[in-house]
Amino acid sequence: MTAEFVLSGAGHSYGPAIRALDGIDLTVEAGEHVAVVGANGSGKSTLLKMLDGLAFCTSGTITAAGRPLTEEALEDPAFRREFRSRVGFVFQDADVQLFCNTVFDELAFGPLQLGLDHEDVRSRVAEVAASLRIERLLDRAPYTLSGGEKKRVAIASVLTMRPQVLLMDEPTNALDPRSQVWLLDVLDEWKRAGRTVVIATHDLSAAAESCDRMIVLSEEHRVVADGTPEEVLAQRDLLLGVNLIHQHSHRHGADRHVHPHAHEHEHA
Amino acid sequence: MIPALAHIADASPRGRGGVRSLARRTADAIGHAVAEVLENDELAGGPGLMQALDPRVKLASILVFAVTASFVHSLPVLVVLVLATMGLAAASGVSVVSFSVKVWSSAGLFALLACAPSATAWITPGPVLIPLGPLSITAPGLLIAARLVARVIAGAGFGLLVIWTTRWTDLLRALSALGVPDLVVATLAMTQKQIMSLLRTVENMHLARESRMLSTGSARENRGWVVDRMAFVARRSMKTADDVYDAMLARGFSGSMPSLVDLRATARDWAWMAAGVATSVLVLGIDRTVFPT
Repeated sequence: MTAEFVLSGAGHSYGPAIRALDGIDLTVEAGEHVAVVGANGSGKSTLLKMLDGLAFCTSGTITAAGRPLTEEALEDPAFRREFRSRVGFVFQDADVQLFCNTVFDELAFGPLQLGLDHEDVRSRVAEVAASLRIERLLDRAPYTLSGGEKKRVAIASVLTMRPQVLLMDEPTNALDPRSQVWLLDVLDEWKRAGRTVVIATHDLSAAAESCDRMIVLSEEHRVVADGTPEEVLAQRDLLLGVNLIHQHSHRHGADRHVHPHAHEHEHA
Repeated sequence: MIPALAHIADASPRGRGGVRSLARRTADAIGHAVAEVLENDELAGGPGLMQALDPRVKLASILVFAVTASFVHSLPVLVVLVLATMGLAAASGVSVVSFSVKVWSSAGLFALLACAPSATAWITPGPVLIPLGPLSITAPGLLIAARLVARVIAGAGFGLLVIWTTRWTDLLRALSALGVPDLVVATLAMTQKQIMSLLRTVENMHLARESRMLSTGSARENRGWVVDRMAFVARRSMKTADDVYDAMLARGFSGSMPSLVDLRATARDWAWMAAGVATSVLVLGIDRTVFPT
């Protein structure tokens, strides 16, 4: 079976001075649920953009379903159509992803770009809106939605394309607790459906709960750990070293405790 | 949802001599602009004569109304058209006072300034009503100016009424249904969304600054802050544009923006359109026969 993504020595730089990823060797098999964790600026978002063909290797190679994923390859309409319908990307900032006039248009955008007939598009929109319980939002302009609603619509806008691979950048960001639980349920459903998911996050608990593999990026933009969430989370020195957790001290009366402490939100 | 700034606009400290700072005035204006857009959506979604109509019919009505107003010559008929827009506003749940103030203070004032010279003896000779030398106001000059102002107020008033009673999303759908290219409609939608998003950013920046300030600061400091934030918003806008383009590519964007427009005109819409055209013919007939030039 062909791996979903294979990265060999892949690196990416923004100009000559800013290195975002360096020498990444990574294989993502079909059906895997992978969490990419790392501190701010470690290159998680860049890695997802590379997997989605929005940023390209400045060193090394990357293949998607056995085909090189390059700018030139995506210029081929047939490959682009096949790749875009197979790989969906939920951006960290839902405001960026919601650019259409109404929520309905937002959900219809992807299928229309794929050239589906209008009846099929309408039925996909209705089906996804019902499953994510956003039917009442369909006539609204995206900018009038709350943060949680925007996130749901952003996810729905990708689901209408029925991707086999889902890339999600900080999916639990800006979500209230109920929406976080809902999202974890959605990821669980995808796992049962055998779809591939790659999420970039530094919410370690969400990553451990929703994924069966965890990859750690260091602040030097390299992979420093790759294993099951249990294996990775057991390496506390490593997590301290890559700035994913920090030492936290507090007192209980006269007793002073010092222990590692993970944050589930962005440090400002 | 009304932005916080719209509520706190008058509660902020005043600068020396009670004059509000430039930063505060800018932020107030932004807050009110956002509030107006959101309130407009509420009004457009409410009950009313104009709200019940298909947005395409309303857009077509603008054309009919504008053509009619352009061909009418007599001032009394133009005044009737102005009164008709006020009647439609009332029937659509729009405050006639705020509607009239808005139209008169923008389009009316602009038209008045533009045609003021034509009311003078210098441009339009004739019997003098107000003697001011070469700038004396003449009777035919005043009639010409009054006609133009009434025509602009009638046209702009009807246009504003259509905008106020139609949700932005429906307006764009109607444009698409009437044949405006989807790429243009999509660009309009993105522009609106981007403006709202940036306004919220500016609002938050201002609130963050306000929460850490004990005084209003000097005028120079405030000007500097406003200019600095303008530059920041411009940079942020460009970055967002890049990100939005990436998001479009990720969902298969290949240069075209097909859309699904699902608008259905009802019997009421057709009746409105027929009544509009008939009224237009009637108005032009009265204008030509009762008030011949």
